[in-house]
Amino acid sequence: MDPKIVAFCCNWCSYAGADLAGVSRMQYPPNVRIIKVMCSGRVEPSFILRAFEVGIDGVLITGCHIGDCHYVSGNLRAEDRVKMAKELMKTLGLEEQRLRLEWISASEGEKFASVIKEFVEDLKSVGPNPLGKGEASCP
Amino acid sequence: MQASKKVGAVIVVGGGISGIQASLDLADSGFKVYLLEKSPSIGGVMAQLDKTFPTGDCSICILSPKLVDVGTHPNIELITNADLTEVSGNAGDFRVKILKKPRYVDEEKCTGCGDCVSACPYINLPDEFDMALRSRGNIFIPFLQAVPRVVMVDREHCVKCGNCQVICDAGAIDLYQKPEEIEIHVGAIIVACGFDSFDPSGIKEYGYGRYKNVITALEYERLVCASGPTGGHLDRPSDKKTPNSIAFIQCVGSRDVNHNPYCSSVCCTYAVKEAIMTKEHDPAIDVNIFYMDMRTHGKGFEEYYNRAKEEYGVRFTRCRPSSVEEIDSRKMLIKYENEDGKLMGDEFDLVVLSVGLKPPKEVKELSEKLGIDLNRYGFCSTSEYSPVETSKQGIYVCGAFASPKDIPESVAQASGAASKASSLLSSERGTLVVEKSYPPEKDVVGEDPRVGVFICNCGVNIGGVVDIPEVVEYAKSLLNVAYVEEDTYTCSRDAQDRIKGAIEEHDLNRVVVASCTPRTHEPLFRSTIREAGLNPYLFEMANIRDQCSWVHLHEKAEATEKTKDLIKMIVAKARLLEPLERIFVEVTHSGLVIGGGIAGMTVALELANQGYEVHLIEKEKELGGNLRRLYYSLSGVSPREHVNKLIDAVTKNSKIHVYTGTNIVDVGGYVGNFIVKIDQDGDEKDLASGVIVIATGGVEYKPEEYLYSEDDRVLTQLELEEKLANNELNAKTIVMIQCVGSRNEERPYCSRVCCYDAIKNALKIKEKSPDANVYVLYRDIRTPGFTEDYYRKARDEGILFLRYDEKEKPEVTLDDGILKVLVVDRTLGREFLIKPDLLVLSAAVLSHPGNKELSEMLKVPLREDGFFLEAHVKLRPIDFSNDGIFLCGLAHSPKSIDETLSQASAAASRAVKILSKDRVEAEGAVISVDEILCRGCGRCEEVCEYNALELKEIEPGRLVAQVKKVLCKGCGTCSVACPSGAITLKHFTDKQIIAMIDAMAGIF
Amino acid sequence: MSLENIVNETKAYYCLECGKCTGSCPISRVNKGYSPRLTVEKALLGFDKELLADGGIWSCMTCNLCKDRCPSNVDYTKFIRYARAEALKTGYTGNCTHGGVLSSLMRIMGNPNLKQDRLGWVSDNLKISEKGDILYFTGCLPYFETLFKDIGVNSLDIARSTVKILNRIGIKPVVMPDERCCGHDLFWTGDLENFEKIAKLNVGLIRGTGAKKVIFSCPECYRTFKQDYSEYVDMDFELVHISEFLAEKIDEGKIDFGSLEEDVTYQDPCRLGRHLGVYDPPRKVISSIQGIGLIEMEHSRERSICCGTSTWTNCDRFSEQIQKERLKEAKAAADTLITACPKCQIHLSCAMKSKTPIDEVKIKDFSVLVASAMGLGDDP
Repeated sequence: MDPKIVAFCCNWCSYAGADLAGVSRMQYPPNVRIIKVMCSGRVEPSFILRAFEVGIDGVLITGCHIGDCHYVSGNLRAEDRVKMAKELMKTLGLEEQRLRLEWISASEGEKFASVIKEFVEDLKSVGPNPLGKGEASCP
Repeated sequence: MQASKKVGAVIVVGGGISGIQASLDLADSGFKVYLLEKSPSIGGVMAQLDKTFPTGDCSICILSPKLVDVGTHPNIELITNADLTEVSGNAGDFRVKILKKPRYVDEEKCTGCGDCVSACPYINLPDEFDMALRSRGNIFIPFLQAVPRVVMVDREHCVKCGNCQVICDAGAIDLYQKPEEIEIHVGAIIVACGFDSFDPSGIKEYGYGRYKNVITALEYERLVCASGPTGGHLDRPSDKKTPNSIAFIQCVGSRDVNHNPYCSSVCCTYAVKEAIMTKEHDPAIDVNIFYMDMRTHGKGFEEYYNRAKEEYGVRFTRCRPSSVEEIDSRKMLIKYENEDGKLMGDEFDLVVLSVGLKPPKEVKELSEKLGIDLNRYGFCSTSEYSPVETSKQGIYVCGAFASPKDIPESVAQASGAASKASSLLSSERGTLVVEKSYPPEKDVVGEDPRVGVFICNCGVNIGGVVDIPEVVEYAKSLLNVAYVEEDTYTCSRDAQDRIKGAIEEHDLNRVVVASCTPRTHEPLFRSTIREAGLNPYLFEMANIRDQCSWVHLHEKAEATEKTKDLIKMIVAKARLLEPLERIFVEVTHSGLVIGGGIAGMTVALELANQGYEVHLIEKEKELGGNLRRLYYSLSGVSPREHVNKLIDAVTKNSKIHVYTGTNIVDVGGYVGNFIVKIDQDGDEKDLASGVIVIATGGVEYKPEEYLYSEDDRVLTQLELEEKLANNELNAKTIVMIQCVGSRNEERPYCSRVCCYDAIKNALKIKEKSPDANVYVLYRDIRTPGFTEDYYRKARDEGILFLRYDEKEKPEVTLDDGILKVLVVDRTLGREFLIKPDLLVLSAAVLSHPGNKELSEMLKVPLREDGFFLEAHVKLRPIDFSNDGIFLCGLAHSPKSIDETLSQASAAASRAVKILSKDRVEAEGAVISVDEILCRGCGRCEEVCEYNALELKEIEPGRLVAQVKKVLCKGCGTCSVACPSGAITLKHFTDKQIIAMIDAMAGIF
Repeated sequence: MSLENIVNETKAYYCLECGKCTGSCPISRVNKGYSPRLTVEKALLGFDKELLADGGIWSCMTCNLCKDRCPSNVDYTKFIRYARAEALKTGYTGNCTHGGVLSSLMRIMGNPNLKQDRLGWVSDNLKISEKGDILYFTGCLPYFETLFKDIGVNSLDIARSTVKILNRIGIKPVVMPDERCCGHDLFWTGDLENFEKIAKLNVGLIRGTGAKKVIFSCPECYRTFKQDYSEYVDMDFELVHISEFLAEKIDEGKIDFGSLEEDVTYQDPCRLGRHLGVYDPPRKVISSIQGIGLIEMEHSRERSICCGTSTWTNCDRFSEQIQKERLKEAKAAADTLITACPKCQIHLSCAMKSKTPIDEVKIKDFSVLVASAMGLGDDP
């Protein structure tokens, strides 16, 4: 299933938003695999690079809206780290559209679905991860 | 009442936010709780709101975790779709009869899958949750996050086709269910039955019910909600078009003697919120709020109001519109007289009525059953000094049923009511609660992982889309997977037995369930594997329903592939799972209260009454605080007298240790184990306490304007009150100026009490010298709730109210010894000169100057205005992010006496939640620090919002980050900030997450 | 390679167990649990599993201090390198710093499909070519810039300064738009598979430019090309560190220094100093600047102490202690510390950000110092 997307969803808002999309039977493309983290502030820039290294086409990071973070400011940290990752990606020649940060609340099932739809479309126009299916020897 | 006759259980009537908070507080401090809700789900009105003011938090997002907490709490028994029918007995020992209306569904069996909802042919009933703006089926779940998440059958329209019974694999439908009467035995009752929205169809001139485009604020709330009937698209009802202009009309059904004379307290701020939400939706929409007085008196509300005006461009028009008419079935015409006295007619596309709050309709009957008095408006009767007590002992009240109020006040009051019940029943604490006992845990450390995978069909919800047999075969092929099972419903009771059996039989040491969402079901499965002797953290869930089959209904092959991936990823994580221990910290069973005013003394007394030692610290030489200077209250009872009574009770209470003339020098420790160093007249001493309550109070602003301190005829309200009490008042003409030092650039907030004080003192003057002329120069009169009555009374007594504009403040001059006040009256637009004998300034309430130092010692945040900043303005008004520290009274924000008392009781309740335990338990999935890898750089300390990390010098010159695991919330932000990799967030380690990424990419 | 082979390859069997290595080791001085002697001993006695699982093998900075002093010529540095490769195969790794983001970057560099966009720092006033005789190999500086600007280290200043210096002496160096990381850290953490890919890619790219001489501002890149690539790939170009290159140019009279009134001290990077024996050229260049006073630290040249950590692994409390002591030495010598290695600059700057009280000095890169002495200072 290409493009392949990994989504990091915070437990409190966006994971719940993704659930809500399901409960409301909103349909979106089956390209995304969600990894639950407690807070978007948990996402390391290295997770993002690792995903690209192993050939994943897009990385989505979602958290609570600014001001709503369950842990007060984790989403602000996530914002900083995404900025840093984007800078690294630029130097690496990876298209910045491959990394996306979205604030999705627990009531925004529709937003979750539409973000995935949009992201899949964007990635289709960007094309597959140029690194192809990488080989990683260091765990 | 004999102690032995008391019952350690409480019934809470009403499952809105107040009832929820009261239930959680009580259940967490050792009482069995029955939460009774008349409708099929708890959640109340808050669940229907889109956003909450003043932070714009998504309402259901912040409420939903509380709903889940209630639903899974071992000591809360949820009784929904049921009514209270009879109460007998007395405080400490009530018998309550409850009628459970048939739901036509076995709550135990229903999994909430919703298959029956779509199978039912009858689908055209108004959806109550969505204010009838869309329709629902005959079988329905009230809303997506409903608790309990089970369906309800509306038998009235049932055609008995039996489709639902056929489709329900769980066999949960029972169309012949009978009403059931149950009787429970409780020691106290908390009434939290909320409010009804005012029905505006009676106000004919506004056309509600006649015009489609006149709606209520609650309907508007659903209209803009992302999960509402329009999916968050702002479509007006008549033609589904987005309106270009919206008018809000305030005080609909409130402040109107023809309907409800009282002020509904919340409508001004909710209208500001809805206006801002509208502007955020589309800044081009013109929003105009028609209001009489803008009553944004809560914490942070005035700033919110200012932002609406200045940043968002919301228009505010001061008037009460006379009528709303529809023209060309397109536009709504609002007629009104503007401030300059001109008759106006403005057209809008949509009109929103800010309807008031009224007592719930069933309350009259309910109050008779309970034997409690209602006030003249049908709300619960309470008094200023006992805001949560009803007329009957052992029955307490909270939330909007006590008086119209917003969410934070309701939450605080709910905790306050819980504290009262807890005090009454403190001898019975812990007698009726259950604690689950488990077999000893198996040691799996060092064993090779043996993962068991249980894959759920969820009836046809998953199995109808995903090829489960194929997935089962695939799962068997995964590394370290020792057993795979397919279930119809993995959440069913028999499946739990099978999971336990498989752990035993196949020697599993990790368990994966692939089914619905861990947000609702993880606690159940964790408990199941714990029963089989596995540490609960050796469990993981793959969400293959909500995040797979349900969202890919028509892509069966892709959904099957995705399911395989999700299971592979979760198995990759599961094999790296480690058993984790929940952390326990011993609790010192005493509290420390900072501030000996009315708030602090109330907290101290409530804690002492519940059996805990209290250290009460007061800076001044005497207890009592500001209220010692207050002689009158509108309700008639003197605050001074109340304070004296409290001082007497406090000093006589052997459990309360009072330290006057005492400062706090240092604070160490953490929840359960604080050490506070005090300095009493030079003697330093360490006090140990399990909790700390901040009740530092506030101070009156010393005005720098209006000739204050230059002319002795210029006084503050407190000084006037003193004069009145001493019968020293000798003045014929008295002018009062409101908002002195408040609502300005330096202090944008409203001081809240000044309107009340001015009216109170003005009435007192009139009482003492009826022919005195009293002028009140005001900007907005803010007498929320039932205090509106006194405003009306003041007008009735001939007190003159002149409104001045912020930009045209009154001018006070001294002319040849004559005091002159020149004011431009906004209503007449004319200058008005008064030569008063006395000028009284309603001076602002300032935060206590000592707050800054205290906040640094306690490491809790302050707002810019010097008041403390609570953990969450909406749902945690009494707490800080730092566990074990609480706040109440003026330390929080300016507030009235009854609110202060509610908050003080609430602080006691929150404190008892900790003090009632021998040890506090914390989450196991927290961080750990590798002391060798830690370089002591301190970046973790900087990002932690909970003070869970602190650099300590463990040997000379060597700093190491030390974790207070009990404070750690497990967000993991610090582990990312740590440059050397010294911090690991358990259960979400780098290795586990990378393993999931690699598994997804097909790399192991 | 089995432990037995490692012992043979590094001549560890000559070990007399005299302990001079441990006595010299900067890590052992602060970490009592770490001993090169005992590590070798374990290998000799066949405690293979224990040795590979021991985190200690990842703490070694491979700084060569022990190797240089060993009376039996045991190549402990190489021993560690082989042991790590073996440990990695068994599934053990060190503790990655920065969440492992740098290891990920390096592995990505081995991907032949990568098309980098790494010349964003080359502003109009910097003249570079696509083809030519002289090539400047920038190393990881563009990535370091992103990762470490938050601790006040602007690694790209090194690249800018180097190009400016070369431009001033009339050279328009080739700077490659898709140059890869040299692979140094992969090599030293045992990931030889990805290292080989990188070595071949880099040499191929350099060949494509026609360069005859490659200049390095990073001692790690320099050492890696000079000593480690040859095992995997043939090279037909000359390799030189910027300090060596400039020392030569001074002799040729091609460099004019302005004056710079400043006392500085110089940190010998382990790769440049002990690994390659380049001690004098940087000193010669620095001393040629008028007005500058070069004051040596207590430990310098062969006795120099390294910056506390290497290969983005195991940067721990012991690293911190080494850095603290090194900064103390520097402070005792001068207020400004010059280093010729971007990683020394990062590690020592990071140490100064610590909440632990630490001596603060100004840290400047060698090329940046030279550029400013040549009056090429502050323009971007």
